[in-house]
Amino acid sequence: MAGLELLSDQGYRVDGRRAGELRKIQARMGVFAQADGSAYIEQGNTKALAVVYGPHEIRGSRARALPDRALVNCQYSSATFSTGERKRRPHGDRKSCEMGLQLRQTFEAAVLTQLHPRSQIDIYVQVLQADGGTYAACVNAATLAVLDAGIPMRDFVCACSAGFVDGTALADLSHVEEAAGGPQLALALLPSSGQIALLEMDARLHEDHLEQVLEAAAHAARDVHTLLDRVVRQHVQEASILLGD
Amino acid sequence: MIPDWKVVQDYLEILEFPELKGIIFMQTACQAVQHQRGRRQYNKLRNLLKDARHDCVLFANEFQQSCYLPRERGESMEKWQSRSIYNAATWYYHHCQDRMPIVMVTEDDEAIQQYGSETEGVFVISFKSYLDNFWPDLKAAHELCESILQSRRERENESQESHGKEYPEHLPLEVLEAGIKSGRYIQGTLSVNKHRAQIEAFVRLQGASSKDSGLVSDILIHGMKARNRSIHGDVVVVELLPKNEWKGRTTALGENDGEFPSEPMPTGRVVGILQKNWRDYVVTFPSKEEVQSQGKNARKILVIPWDYRIPKIRISTQQAEALQDFRVVVRIDSWESTSMYPSGHFVRVLGRIGDLEGEIATILVENSISVVPFSEAQMCEMPVNTTENPWKVSSEEERERKDLRKTHLVFSIDPRGCEDVDDAFSVRALDNGNLELGVHIADVTHFVASHSYIDIEARTRATTYYLADRRYDMLPSILSADVCSLLGGVDRYAVSIMWELDKTSYEIKEVWYGRTIIRSAYKLFYEAAQELLDGNVDIVDDIPEFGDLDEKSRQAKLEELLWAIRKLTDIARHVRAKRYQCGALELEGVEVRIQLDEKKNIHDLIPKQPLEVHETVAECMILANHWVAKKIWESFPHQALLRRHPPPHQEFFSELRECAKAKGFFIDTRSNKALADSLDNANDPNDPIVNWLLRSMATQAMSNALYFSTGSCAEEEFHHYGLALDKYTHFTSPIRRYSDIIVHRLLMAAISKDKKMEIKEDLFSNKDLEELCRHINNRNRAAQHSQKQSTELFQCMYFKDKDPETEERCISDGVIYSIRTNGVLVFIPRFGIKGAAYLKNKDGLVISCSPDGHSEWKPGSLQRFQNKITSTTTGGESVTFHLFDHVTVRISVQASRCHSDTIRLEIISNKPYMMPDTELFQQSSLLLKSDLVKEVTRSVEEAQLAQEVKVNVIEKDYQKYCQTKGRSLYTLLEEIRDLALLDVSNSYGI
Repeated sequence: MAGLELLSDQGYRVDGRRAGELRKIQARMGVFAQADGSAYIEQGNTKALAVVYGPHEIRGSRARALPDRALVNCQYSSATFSTGERKRRPHGDRKSCEMGLQLRQTFEAAVLTQLHPRSQIDIYVQVLQADGGTYAACVNAATLAVLDAGIPMRDFVCACSAGFVDGTALADLSHVEEAAGGPQLALALLPSSGQIALLEMDARLHEDHLEQVLEAAAHAARDVHTLLDRVVRQHVQEASILLGD
Repeated sequence: MIPDWKVVQDYLEILEFPELKGIIFMQTACQAVQHQRGRRQYNKLRNLLKDARHDCVLFANEFQQSCYLPRERGESMEKWQSRSIYNAATWYYHHCQDRMPIVMVTEDDEAIQQYGSETEGVFVISFKSYLDNFWPDLKAAHELCESILQSRRERENESQESHGKEYPEHLPLEVLEAGIKSGRYIQGTLSVNKHRAQIEAFVRLQGASSKDSGLVSDILIHGMKARNRSIHGDVVVVELLPKNEWKGRTTALGENDGEFPSEPMPTGRVVGILQKNWRDYVVTFPSKEEVQSQGKNARKILVIPWDYRIPKIRISTQQAEALQDFRVVVRIDSWESTSMYPSGHFVRVLGRIGDLEGEIATILVENSISVVPFSEAQMCEMPVNTTENPWKVSSEEERERKDLRKTHLVFSIDPRGCEDVDDAFSVRALDNGNLELGVHIADVTHFVASHSYIDIEARTRATTYYLADRRYDMLPSILSADVCSLLGGVDRYAVSIMWELDKTSYEIKEVWYGRTIIRSAYKLFYEAAQELLDGNVDIVDDIPEFGDLDEKSRQAKLEELLWAIRKLTDIARHVRAKRYQCGALELEGVEVRIQLDEKKNIHDLIPKQPLEVHETVAECMILANHWVAKKIWESFPHQALLRRHPPPHQEFFSELRECAKAKGFFIDTRSNKALADSLDNANDPNDPIVNWLLRSMATQAMSNALYFSTGSCAEEEFHHYGLALDKYTHFTSPIRRYSDIIVHRLLMAAISKDKKMEIKEDLFSNKDLEELCRHINNRNRAAQHSQKQSTELFQCMYFKDKDPETEERCISDGVIYSIRTNGVLVFIPRFGIKGAAYLKNKDGLVISCSPDGHSEWKPGSLQRFQNKITSTTTGGESVTFHLFDHVTVRISVQASRCHSDTIRLEIISNKPYMMPDTELFQQSSLLLKSDLVKEVTRSVEEAQLAQEVKVNVIEKDYQKYCQTKGRSLYTLLEEIRDLALLDVSNSYGI
């Protein structure tokens, strides 16, 4: 009978965070040598790996080539061992396809595709462990990977999820909080301009609260941006030492 | 003090004692409670934490870096929990720089040994020794502790020797939920028939389940076995029985089993309980002889709850002998499937049986009303107003508020001697020729800051409770009778609404809301105001404000006041007429008011006839409430507190229609307007009681008006059926209703919102407000019930001393208002008593009447028809009773040890009772009415006096009567429900 109390009277969430607090984020760039760009990110227990190839010539049917900009091709998959119950198929199911599409939309908005007409950029993302906020982790990992590949972008794309419980907006939902079935919002933001690359919302939420949840998600996304920025700077520093500058 | 998880689980009731303060609950302990004891216990804990009066805090030790301990391999959950709590306690001690000694209370002996002397300043002791050392004087806590220990021991013993099962097991929760979803089971609230508690209970369906299953009526649960350990008020899951096992409900009166059960209705059995709504129950120990007959199990005693609907409770105590003559509070612990009765434990003693104080305390506990004197912390927040240090208007407030002291003639109209004046009026002509009507309400929120101690206390109480002889205030008297009360001749803060009206059409042109300072010039009483209105100026001598004025200025002032009262009445007439056009109901007739006033204001509110002034005042209040409702709803569409009155179900009116038909009236119930009109027409010139009974039946058929938060209701549902207004709220009595305080805050916030200022008030969100509304609604219901029960208590005490055979007063005229298979229900207008009168007694004899009307018992049979009942003796004589017949009844009291006493009625003649003043009967009904009032008042006053001699509180009680009760038309309308013919809580009654 006792339903889980997502937000205690004292303002703590199930895992001890406050409402607006993010989970711990750790990230590394350049994890694979073969790929043009790659990155690995951990947001709490959610772990994702992103690999970027390109820009290169269109593979397969030439007809897909776009005359004025590059084609962004995204593939999402999640490891069979990533969830509590073992999955049958690592990729190709409906959910993966949808996620791939969302990622593509996000990055088409952020990458300066018009600089590479008639070429293709491949982004492959794999989730190794899913503990809520997989979309956000994928976007953040992919951003780092795209940066690693040196593909020009308008800005970082920083994503974060947010939910709404008892009149309070919660940032960066964990799996437990997602599973409770409340409204959930995923936001990908271009932080410096404040433009929204993608916004998705599940379940019903009263119009009056939308602003509040959106604000929480945007704030969290900006926090993610500072963290990612730090990771990138550190990576560049390390790389420059290796190159001996 | 830090309790261990086990202590929190088992002794939460003791921790709830207001004396125990400064408890630190560890998150670990709270979570253990949540997991092992379920939501109910956990919610209790949460409420305890929220209650600012307890000074308790929750420390999230598992989220604290230095307090968190990972669970070690092979360590049991319990050990880890104790270890975590101890570790956190040590940390807390060091955190307070070793200055505050910390006591950790645990039940685990190993833990005491292990940690007892580990850290200096952190004491680990058992709960028993904690109570002994720190609270040696808190006797109640010790007793409670004892009884908890004992009942636990019992339970352990029992579980070992579990024998034959009395009840089937409840189904697991998943099965229930799946069953409800699939429509196999039905969810609803169990309500037990008060008059046949052993056999009949009904399940009132909730929400969606009634639509799906296609059931219109409630589901009958027949017998204790089918009820399967659920108790009145529980939310249960029911499985329907096959149609051939369906039973009908009994319509006979009283204990003897009905021979004619009505047609079968859906019958079911309980398969599980979703939510237990156990509360504290008042019980009585069986008398000595009965205890002995229970024999060997003398330590376990079956006690009998005061409420008929609750089964006997088994408790174990050694004090049974000592508690023989007392009313006692008991709590239910569990009800195993192996046991016939639930087992519980003893909590505290209330008072002696039959003693006024004890019985009143019983009524309070049964309605979950807790009234303790205001604490020191709460009183500290109160303003001071003594002769040395009088309360004054502060200069800051003077700047912020609109000052009406010089510009407006403000006056209040209240009952004579009233001290809590929360409304005042003003009328004046503006320069442009228009009129300005002002309603000024005491500014309570200025003194009661949101979330202050006094605010929390008021919220818990939610309303002022009026019992027959006393009242329990929501706010301390310094506010209610002094600083907030808009007394004459002194400066007071107020919240005002001022309408600008067209001078001829009284069309509302503009409205202004805001905080003001007023000085009421006249504190009038109803009768005086009415006299002035009628142009009778002699009354002036009764108004103290005119006392020391010379003739000339007196004349001028009088003119001014007269003009204002006339204008006010005029406007009110106009507004009312408009509302009636929309279909507002006038349900309170002349008689009702008499009945109302009879008990509530013995001295003051005895109108010779209903005065127009009453209606004027009520109309102004309704107008103010309506406009405030509109305003706050516009400003806060999702979190405004309004009041709605849902339209009634047509099927509930069928009884009313039948009754009216018996008298040849037609009642149209299709809309509120049609109902109001047809009720006006249904007037028997020879018998005013008929119209009153019909009106009261109509009220009975309606649903209760409720507070609600606008965010949780569709806009169409805001409508107020009784008043025919689209939006309504309570704004005008902040001194005695908490809802009005909330509305005041909302209005203030709305004003600052309009001025684009920051909203200072901390408003409730929709969800919190909805919860609060539920609480206030509950409390209001409890207030109504307790008022009704205390009135009945007084009636019984009054008749108890009289010998029904000899005393003239015990014989009275009654009206039959409902027919049952073995008797009739009778209403006695003289005392406002309703009750059942049997036509067939326990020996199977029926009533028969000799030609001169006097009745006797003879063998025979009864025959019941639609609106009459005929009793035929074997000798062939027969007598028929029709609906609305007048009969003579004898009133006696049926004493009961375990329950409240009840009034018994016996028909002694089928002719109307002729009072000694028969000739008055023939005269105009107006005279009759006034006579009735006098009669009733006199008799009641005598009853009061008789009571007061007993309890020796004459002076005090009379002072208490001086306070007013509901002036708004709607409050009146609601109060009729108390007098309505059937029991509110149990529409299947009798």
